[in-house]
Amino acid sequence: MGTGVVIGIIFAFAAYYALRPNADTTNFYNQQNKALLAAMFAWSIGFLIGIGAFIGPFRWLIGKDLTAEEQLYLAGDGQGIKRYFKYCTDHKVVGIQYLVGVMAMLAVGGTMAMMIRTSLAVPGGHFIGATIYNSLVGLHGITMIVAMIIVATGPFGNYIMPIMIGARDMAFPRLNALSWWVLFTAIPVLCSAWFLGGIPTGWTAYAPLSVQAGPGMNAFIATIIIFAISTAVAGMNITATVVTMRAKGMKWNRVPIFVIGSTMSVALAIPAFPTFMLAMVQTATDRVYNTGFYDANVGGSGWLYAHLFWIMGHPEVYVILLPGIAILMEIAPVFVRKPLFSYNAAVMGFAGIAGLSVLVWAHHMYISGWTPTLNGPFMVTTEMISVPTGLLFLVMLGTIWRGKPWMKLPMLGLFAVIWNLLIGGITGIYLSDVPADNYLHGSMYVTAHFHYTLMGAALTGAVSGLAYWFPKMTGRMLNEKAGYTAFWFTQIGFQILFLGMFIAGAEGQPRRVVSFASMYKYYNMISTGGAYLVGTGFIILLWAVIHSWRKGDIAPQNPWGAKTLEWTVPYPVPLENFDETPVITSDPYGYGRGN
Amino acid sequence: MTTQNPNPSSNPSSNPSSAHEDQQLAPTPGQRVTTLLKRTDVKRTLIFGIFWTAVFVVLGLYAYPKWMPEVMSTDMKAMERIIVGFTVISAPIAGLVLGIATQALTNRHKGNTPPPDGPAIRTNGPVVIVWSIVSGIFCLIAVVWGLVELNTFANAATIDERTALHVEVTGSQWVWSFKYPDLGVQSDKLMLPLDRPVFFDVTSVDVNHSFWPLQLGIKVDANRLQTTHINTTPDKLGRIDVKCAELCGLYHAYMETTGEVMTTADFDNWVTTNGGHIA
Repeated sequence: MGTGVVIGIIFAFAAYYALRPNADTTNFYNQQNKALLAAMFAWSIGFLIGIGAFIGPFRWLIGKDLTAEEQLYLAGDGQGIKRYFKYCTDHKVVGIQYLVGVMAMLAVGGTMAMMIRTSLAVPGGHFIGATIYNSLVGLHGITMIVAMIIVATGPFGNYIMPIMIGARDMAFPRLNALSWWVLFTAIPVLCSAWFLGGIPTGWTAYAPLSVQAGPGMNAFIATIIIFAISTAVAGMNITATVVTMRAKGMKWNRVPIFVIGSTMSVALAIPAFPTFMLAMVQTATDRVYNTGFYDANVGGSGWLYAHLFWIMGHPEVYVILLPGIAILMEIAPVFVRKPLFSYNAAVMGFAGIAGLSVLVWAHHMYISGWTPTLNGPFMVTTEMISVPTGLLFLVMLGTIWRGKPWMKLPMLGLFAVIWNLLIGGITGIYLSDVPADNYLHGSMYVTAHFHYTLMGAALTGAVSGLAYWFPKMTGRMLNEKAGYTAFWFTQIGFQILFLGMFIAGAEGQPRRVVSFASMYKYYNMISTGGAYLVGTGFIILLWAVIHSWRKGDIAPQNPWGAKTLEWTVPYPVPLENFDETPVITSDPYGYGRGN
Repeated sequence: MTTQNPNPSSNPSSNPSSAHEDQQLAPTPGQRVTTLLKRTDVKRTLIFGIFWTAVFVVLGLYAYPKWMPEVMSTDMKAMERIIVGFTVISAPIAGLVLGIATQALTNRHKGNTPPPDGPAIRTNGPVVIVWSIVSGIFCLIAVVWGLVELNTFANAATIDERTALHVEVTGSQWVWSFKYPDLGVQSDKLMLPLDRPVFFDVTSVDVNHSFWPLQLGIKVDANRLQTTHINTTPDKLGRIDVKCAELCGLYHAYMETTGEVMTTADFDNWVTTNGGHIA
């Protein structure tokens, strides 16, 4: 990793030096954008070369493929803790790397959120001023979006999923490590935005503001392009693994629901994220070469950007939501000792959402004026998503019906999500209605809605997953008292924070504003109070994770009495997971009397 | 275990336990309902469900209208009706979902060992079908209502244009300006006459903005070198707040202005005072 950093920095400086604008440069800003973008990509490529990401293909290219010992070395065999800082192909190592990476991103994004809410405690925006505030809003947004995309499929899709399907590793272990380290290179790139003057746009980076923006925008653009590569690789890897490497006897109707939900999520991501990448590439060329894709002066259009963005942006929120819900569906049967209610309805729910989600994107553009006649059809497709979403509720509720829920940490999230997704879903229906959206679009109501779904539902599901799989990933139990405390602080704080925000939005407060009219001050102050409770809760959770990881109670092999395959292996999980890959004869939901 | 056991029925009243089955008639639907209602979990779900339904009904009927601004046009009225209506319609759904969840919480297992096994219910065909159909119906209601409202807007657009007032709205970083081309007036405040249809032609000179006169219940983006259109008819006197609803750079938060819906006489007065001529 050290080599990677050094080589990456060398490449970055070399690229910038080669392309930097000087006194004679015409089009100074175009050239500066070019130099900065080149430096950022050079950093990424240089780091990957330095860390040895390309050893495998390179050796294959020169006809000296890696030997078995070398592959074992690459898999981290016998290297102890150092393998977490290296290019390691063991999916369990990659899972832990993603876990720590996601936690770091949530911490950074969360700190930004606390700064935003602190500023919004009172009207006037004097705490940090408009430039920093606007940058905070945009960078908080993109940090959290990236974190949320990988929060469940990163740690658990990598660590747990292959064991769960009875495989020894993923289909493409080297690409697995690549997907993590590519993402890693994006993190300093994103952070560099702060040193380059921030960004004036939200995370949606609408043109023409994004083309007009200062040097910090290049960091955003480069982050997305790099991240899109990481996601494409990871998504393809997960899909290939689940399709081809299930253990003998694991027919599709015996696959754990977490695997189904995650696979559908990444399969949705594969067509979606390239359009975001494309949108950003065009923003970059507009900034560097004046290509004018989004410039109405030369025949381009900002609406082109909006379409490209939202064709990604809507599927993307379901990419985020599906794994979180799938985790809860995996957890519920274990803690009520009943089968998952209607596995088929769950699959249909996930499939329906994934399928419909590619048909709804222009509901983000109802008031853009691009083609009002098409608002109607998009309204219809958007409202139809409520039906498969309802099936997901049916499955969760049907599973807990007539059961006695064992309220250990993983189970708390299920009840929180039932509440949060209900509110998020219903308010989503209001927003999907065009006349209602005429008022609500661009207000804090929208912000509250998507925080309820992405944070209240998806993040809560992922944290439940952490509590559930903590024993298998760390060998220890997550501290229950601390976990409960964190749960109450975050969830109660969350309600105060965002219910207050719904009201401010209904009253007419626009979103992304550093200052607001005094009529909104009451609910903003309340929201900020809620935010501090949430922040406290997450700090407690962080403490709990770190403390339990180091000193928590040693966990038995199967503390929850669950029936999925990951609980049949000991901790530390052997390098290749199983001595003999299992043969499956039933689905993992055989709980309950009479089963 | 390679085969699944047939599902035990989830409705106990349809399983006669006596050995003299041939002498017992199958329970009537009325009897099934009564037996169902005797179950603790069903009773609790009903009570909690009614509570949560009431919460959402109060939210829709009382809270939302209180929070939202003055209703000063038919569009705003339609919009408020939708929000109130959708909240009340969704109330029984919320009631059912939260009722089941609350009930499950009251039945939670305490202790450090796993709870006893629950009934091995893998699915319930009729429940899945009924749930899907009912949610489809709710979806249909929302869709039809929305399409009807959209159609109303579209019709309004064709009928009123000849007598309408035209206002050209220009967004620029970071101010709104309003031009009344037929009247020869320009203003940074949005003054409108009561009960006269107004057509807004909206554009931007730089980046994307979004024209949002709160109390009129309409909104449309302002794009560079494009003109977007929106129309409404203000039907109540009073103050209008105009805000920008699309992040447009540094001072987006301050890109707001006010206006007023005034009587035709007052409006004509305003026009002539500001150098214009009455059409």
